[in-house]
Amino acid sequence: MSDRLKIALLLAPALSIIGVLFFGGLLIGLMRSFNYMPVIGLTEPDLSAYIAVFTSREFYLSFLLTFHIAFTSTVISSILAIGSALLLRRTFVGRSLINFLFQLNLTVPHLVGAIGMLYLFSQSGSFARLGAEWNLIAKPSDFPALVFDPYAIGIILQYIWKEVPFIGVIVLANMQSLGEDYESVARSLGASKWQAFIHVLMPLIFPGVLSASIIVFAFTFGAYEIPAILGASYPKALPVLAYQKYTDVDLAARPEAMAMAIVIAALSALMIYFYVRYMRRRIRS
Amino acid sequence: MTHVSIRELTKVYPGSADPALDGLSLEIPTGELTALLGPSGCGKTTTMKMIAGLLAPTSGDIHFDGRSVLSEKPEHRGVVMVFQNYLLFPHMNVADNVGFGLKMRKVPKQEIDHRVKEMLELVKLPDLGDRQPSALSGGQQQRVALARALIVQPNVLLLDEPLSNLDAHLRFEMRDLIRGLQQEMGITTIFVTHDQEEAVVLADKVALILDGRLKQYGPADVFYKRPVDEATARFFGGQNFASGTSDGSVFKSGLGQLKLPDGVNPGPGKLTVRPENIRINAGENMQNSLQAVVTERVFLGTQTLVKLQVGNEKLDAIANPNEVENISVGDSVTISLPPSSLWVLST
Repeated sequence: MSDRLKIALLLAPALSIIGVLFFGGLLIGLMRSFNYMPVIGLTEPDLSAYIAVFTSREFYLSFLLTFHIAFTSTVISSILAIGSALLLRRTFVGRSLINFLFQLNLTVPHLVGAIGMLYLFSQSGSFARLGAEWNLIAKPSDFPALVFDPYAIGIILQYIWKEVPFIGVIVLANMQSLGEDYESVARSLGASKWQAFIHVLMPLIFPGVLSASIIVFAFTFGAYEIPAILGASYPKALPVLAYQKYTDVDLAARPEAMAMAIVIAALSALMIYFYVRYMRRRIRS
Repeated sequence: MTHVSIRELTKVYPGSADPALDGLSLEIPTGELTALLGPSGCGKTTTMKMIAGLLAPTSGDIHFDGRSVLSEKPEHRGVVMVFQNYLLFPHMNVADNVGFGLKMRKVPKQEIDHRVKEMLELVKLPDLGDRQPSALSGGQQQRVALARALIVQPNVLLLDEPLSNLDAHLRFEMRDLIRGLQQEMGITTIFVTHDQEEAVVLADKVALILDGRLKQYGPADVFYKRPVDEATARFFGGQNFASGTSDGSVFKSGLGQLKLPDGVNPGPGKLTVRPENIRINAGENMQNSLQAVVTERVFLGTQTLVKLQVGNEKLDAIANPNEVENISVGDSVTISLPPSSLWVLST
């Protein structure tokens, strides 16, 4: 038996599950997005759902908001994760404890984090009340709107809180396997700390940062629960909007929901492609 | 070109009770090639990193031309370190690796290209500028690492085990290249090695470091002729030691009474003679001749090790295979220990 066949057979169970669940779901979604739903009598495929999506102002506003959430969360999380990894790779008293605390919230579900964010940062939350108690603000409602706000600050904060350790752990492992010798060489060749970081360390850890940040971007672009809990009522994030359409009492709205879901997936893939291309070129230069 | 002065340099790593380096003092004259010799973990690389500014000493000082450099950042010291495993930047091609130091100094690109070309020719790799480091052999990587260090014209060049990852053939080639470039450019160079032969062949002076302490520092031949103690003598291949007493001109021990060279202090001590200095089948009227019994012969290729018993003492002799081809185990032979080859270590 050839090696290639052996590998294919070994991967077959996992691939068949992915195939059925992912590509099967995608196919059904695609069919429905083309208004093909024999169950409710839609048997003539057309592009009406896509036309409805692309002519809706709400869709574009939602897209911009979702892109803003995903992009800002990914960039800030990546920067903070790299900074944290740079600190955590150093030797200092209590490093193990700090390392443990840094990774602790990886175990906390997003949903729990979002509720915590709600309790802490909403205008009726703990910080608002403490601010009023300590006379920093006149009343809790004077607390800046960080949750349900149009700039999605609460959502972004939640993602940063959750994703910094995720990217950080990957980057830290990457840095530890590289060691500090490459930077030492750069320093002894005349590079400042910053130059050694930019010209040597960053390109070396870049594949790890890129992989982790792609996962974060794809997740934050397509995630439903956090924008549903912490987001403003208008505009909504794309997944929230799609779900709203999907659960509409009018079954005829489902093709629109599916078209939106397909567009979200396609946009995610497209943006990741351009992000990877841009970052690679940037690092090379 | 810089005179390097290391003064009472000590390094204790956090969490370690014993110092990695303990009070090292060395004067390395301008333009000399000095070897820091010692076994793994003796503090050689620690010393290099402190000279380069990559590691802060616990105490002591480092002076370049009489000026302390401890407060200077690594990039301002004018010291370049070539690491044992070369550490070529994998995301850059050979030319970019070599030109890295100039780029950091913001030298114009045209000049960088010109100097990189010159430097690659100097290390005999003129056509490999576009290659990725992963496509180079170990010897080529070493040359690129050397070119990358030399292009910035450092005041002090540090080489960490420069030949240890190379096979025997490349080692000879690189040894000549390093020595040639160092003499041509006159850069004060310090290199670390655990190989005494490498240190002896390459360096003007050798500093032997054992257990974090400087044992002996000087020209290589002194380590063979006048080692300071048994550990130093053993590190340089000394195998013959006999305890006894010296009166300044004669040493009395289990080997009998042996005439000593001038300059040996009277008192108790250990007599040492290098295996290659023992003459087998010497005439009985030669100075310091002794009767010995051959207990073992070991063919070493270009040499033969002959193990000898003299009274209660054992001696190892190394001879040309042709000279001892008629000698068998159990034979009684006359050996001679020329006075000029003897040395007494104080105990």
